[in-house]
Amino acid sequence: MRRRTFLRAGASGIFGGWAAGRLDGRPSRRSTWLLIPMDDTQSDHLKAYGVTFRVLERGGKAEWFLNYRNGSFLLPADTTTQRDAAVAGVSAALLDDGQVAEIRGELAQGNMDAVPLEKAPKVAVYVSPNATPWDDAVTMALQYAGISFDKVWDAEVIGQGLKTYDWLHLHHEDFTGQYSKFYLTYAGAPWLQDMVDRNQRMARQLGFANVPAEKKAVARTIAAFVDRGGFLFAMCTATETLDLALASEGVDIAASFADGTPMDPAAADKMHWEKALAFQKARLELSPAIAVYSEIDGHQVNSPDRRQPLGAFTLFNFSAKIDPVATMLVQSHRQVIPDFYGMTTSFMRETLKPGVTVLADEAGAPWVKYIHGERGQGTWTFLGGHDPEDPQHQVGDAPTDLSTHPHSPGYRLILNNVLFPAAKKKELKT
Amino acid sequence: MKRAILAGFTVLMTAGAAAAQDAASRAIDLERRGDLAGAAAAWRGLLSTSPTDLAALLGLERALTPLGRLAEMTEMVQAAARREPSAGVLGIAVRVWTAARQPDSARAAVERWATLEPGSELPFQEWGIAAYGARDRTSAKAAYLLGRQRLGRPDAMAAELGQLAVLEGDYSTAAREWVGAIRRVPGYRAAAVSVLSQANPAGRSALLRELEGMADLTAERLAASLQVRWGEPLGGVRRLVAALPPRGREAIDALQEALDELRGPASRDLLTARAIALEQLALRTGGPERARIRLDAAQAYADGGDQTAARRMLAVLAGDSAATPLMAATATSTLVGVLVDEGGVEEADRRFRELAPLLGAEDRQRLAIRLAQGWVRTGRLGRADSLLAADSSMEAQAVRGRVALYRGDLATARAQLREAGPFTGERAAATERISVLGLLQVLDADSLPELGAALFRLEQGDSAGAAAGLERLAPTLSADHGGAELLLLAGKLRGALGRTADAERLLRGAVAMGVPATSPAAEFALADLLVRTGRKTLAIPALEHLLVTWPTSAVVPQARRLLDVARGAVPAT
Repeated sequence: MRRRTFLRAGASGIFGGWAAGRLDGRPSRRSTWLLIPMDDTQSDHLKAYGVTFRVLERGGKAEWFLNYRNGSFLLPADTTTQRDAAVAGVSAALLDDGQVAEIRGELAQGNMDAVPLEKAPKVAVYVSPNATPWDDAVTMALQYAGISFDKVWDAEVIGQGLKTYDWLHLHHEDFTGQYSKFYLTYAGAPWLQDMVDRNQRMARQLGFANVPAEKKAVARTIAAFVDRGGFLFAMCTATETLDLALASEGVDIAASFADGTPMDPAAADKMHWEKALAFQKARLELSPAIAVYSEIDGHQVNSPDRRQPLGAFTLFNFSAKIDPVATMLVQSHRQVIPDFYGMTTSFMRETLKPGVTVLADEAGAPWVKYIHGERGQGTWTFLGGHDPEDPQHQVGDAPTDLSTHPHSPGYRLILNNVLFPAAKKKELKT
Repeated sequence: MKRAILAGFTVLMTAGAAAAQDAASRAIDLERRGDLAGAAAAWRGLLSTSPTDLAALLGLERALTPLGRLAEMTEMVQAAARREPSAGVLGIAVRVWTAARQPDSARAAVERWATLEPGSELPFQEWGIAAYGARDRTSAKAAYLLGRQRLGRPDAMAAELGQLAVLEGDYSTAAREWVGAIRRVPGYRAAAVSVLSQANPAGRSALLRELEGMADLTAERLAASLQVRWGEPLGGVRRLVAALPPRGREAIDALQEALDELRGPASRDLLTARAIALEQLALRTGGPERARIRLDAAQAYADGGDQTAARRMLAVLAGDSAATPLMAATATSTLVGVLVDEGGVEEADRRFRELAPLLGAEDRQRLAIRLAQGWVRTGRLGRADSLLAADSSMEAQAVRGRVALYRGDLATARAQLREAGPFTGERAAATERISVLGLLQVLDADSLPELGAALFRLEQGDSAGAAAGLERLAPTLSADHGGAELLLLAGKLRGALGRTADAERLLRGAVAMGVPATSPAAEFALADLLVRTGRKTLAIPALEHLLVTWPTSAVVPQARRLLDVARGAVPAT
């Protein structure tokens, strides 16, 4: 699948094609469909994505009705899908061809569109082997929704293991190789020692002099994955540090505890921002004791003097017919969502590269929350913050139980990203 | 001329003071409005004419701190400290140098301040707090250790160093430092317990080992409080009691403090721990107060399930000359309850009859119901009936309903339990009553002595006998009029007894009957049993079948949650 070859296919034509028997083998006139509404009538918004994903996994096809009842899904009403929705507790309505045609009429008249979903993307989550399964919002969302994924880490990435995947997620990995800059603050904590040991062993195993050098190589491989047409979704500090690692080729931005030499005090002036995905011209945090990397993050949660309070961010409205990609990424039943901290919570507007699409921001604030862009044949999407349902997330906090947040609009944004690569491509206008 | 010059100088001085006052008011006003940059500029203006003005320096510090620009003050504070090195100015200097990441300058300011105030911990504390605020734990620790060295006291800065040690996960050091801090200032106890109780489970044993090694009352008191906080009230209190001196104020204080800490949600261990602490306190107390404490201890022992200890306390109380008649009556009343729980219903009945005339109506009624429950448990249903003959309360009605149930008189049981309603008595008893009513409502028969006998066995704790009785009876009833329900109950009982295969067979039987309400409940119980016995892969299809077959069942939310747990889709909490 290539982003630029997102062919606009007549929705009715594709729909007719399925109904001709590819999905359930029944003649089109008598076909019935399952509409998964995504407005406030939905009993489990997050599992609805899983039901849709599994239709694609079984080789079926679906449609995403952008902006129709907050981004509903149209699925074949075969027994397996109906059973799956019932087990998952996902609200669904049976429709006949006539009712579907009526909906299509509505889609044609408003800022709505039908996007065919054709193939379940092969999903990889970049996570270290010792990471707790409940400390990554995307892993939690995928597990809760029942979307299958593989875990990859440095050895797989460097070994070109990403070639077999369509979609890659990065969470709070520190691609500058400084262990989230917790080295001094949490010195002696067993989990930190374990993190340091694992990273150092991996760097040695892969033949790098130190962890920062190895992480830079990992970052370059991930950027190449996007170049080749991969879909990258990153959250929290992986967003900022990935770009810092890419832009710091040949520049020492790591503290001495990570690579044995102090950070180059003039590093900010030597950065190669043209290699980064999203950011440019950011000043860097020079202190090894402050768990902040640069001024890219607007909230600076780990800097007592600079920390900003949480507000709420607003999803932008896009034209579903002209900007389907951006529209897919912001499908939600809530337009304003309470903000949540992460080591990187938000992105300062002044550090964004020209051409970056802002998907959500906080009104009046100098930062944005959710951004998207293209690189080579692929795309990347960055969402600031750690866990949408744990706004103050701290090291050692209890895991979030998504069965108590089945309607989480923040988690919906994550799952929008998982389904977005399944969309049949057409020409992008964004 | 000289007079004119003097007058002019005075006017100038007054005008200058008024202008400074105005500038300060303007700066404070800007701060109040949230214009911190403007306030900083105003304070700066004031400092340009009065560089040692402490209020202006503090104002500038207040304005620059939230802006993250405190380091901009370095030159101003340096100049002020050069001209007027007061404690106030040096305090600002310490904070500013720390924010500017210049630890050598911060240390120099601390040293100057310490010279001005020899013997004071303040300069070192200020430096440590500023460094900690800047997330620089290494400098904070260095500040406190420097203070300890300069002051020449091994327990100086102990609380601060203890706090840092906890953050570093060094629990042995934390224990030593906090004990030192408490020995010097006993008021630190509460803070020590609060900070040290945050130790992770792995660190707790190291902490307790260290405290144990110190072998003194301060350390043992701290260890006991921590054990109570970590959910080991019995261990904590036993540790404390072993370390207490036989008499003296300190022992009494320690016990009263332990009793304050033992106020969490009542569990058997917590109640027994309270009882032990009260018994020990009574040993160290005199007069009527001692009798009251013993009575409380007896009650706590009884509530905690240690009937022998309760009886021992009550016997001591009976011989206590300081006990008032009211206390003696209350003690006897408690003893009746203890005897009933122990199965000594005959003796309890005798004591009740002796005591009844001395009791108020409410106490008498409460005790009679308890005694009747005791008779029910022994199978003497007639004695229970006669004891409650004159009682028309809801609680008595509930006991009568159970008597009828065990006799197999389902019609009477149904009517009386329904009348007792869902709120009478304790929560657990009320819940059990409602589930029994649910069972009775699906049964057609008005009389089923075999069911009464099976449920009576259950009352006596013979779960295996009860399950066997229910299993025998179930095939004689139609599926939707009790057959499925009795299999479900029998299956649950077998499951609780660890007879997993039997439980599974019975529950699957109830599922296969396809009775609305009962079959989904049986399928849920089956899945729960499979999850609990580590067979999640078998539980998943059972739950899926339940959700698809019985989508409107009351157990659907629980089933969906269990399915998430079985699939690993949510954390198992």
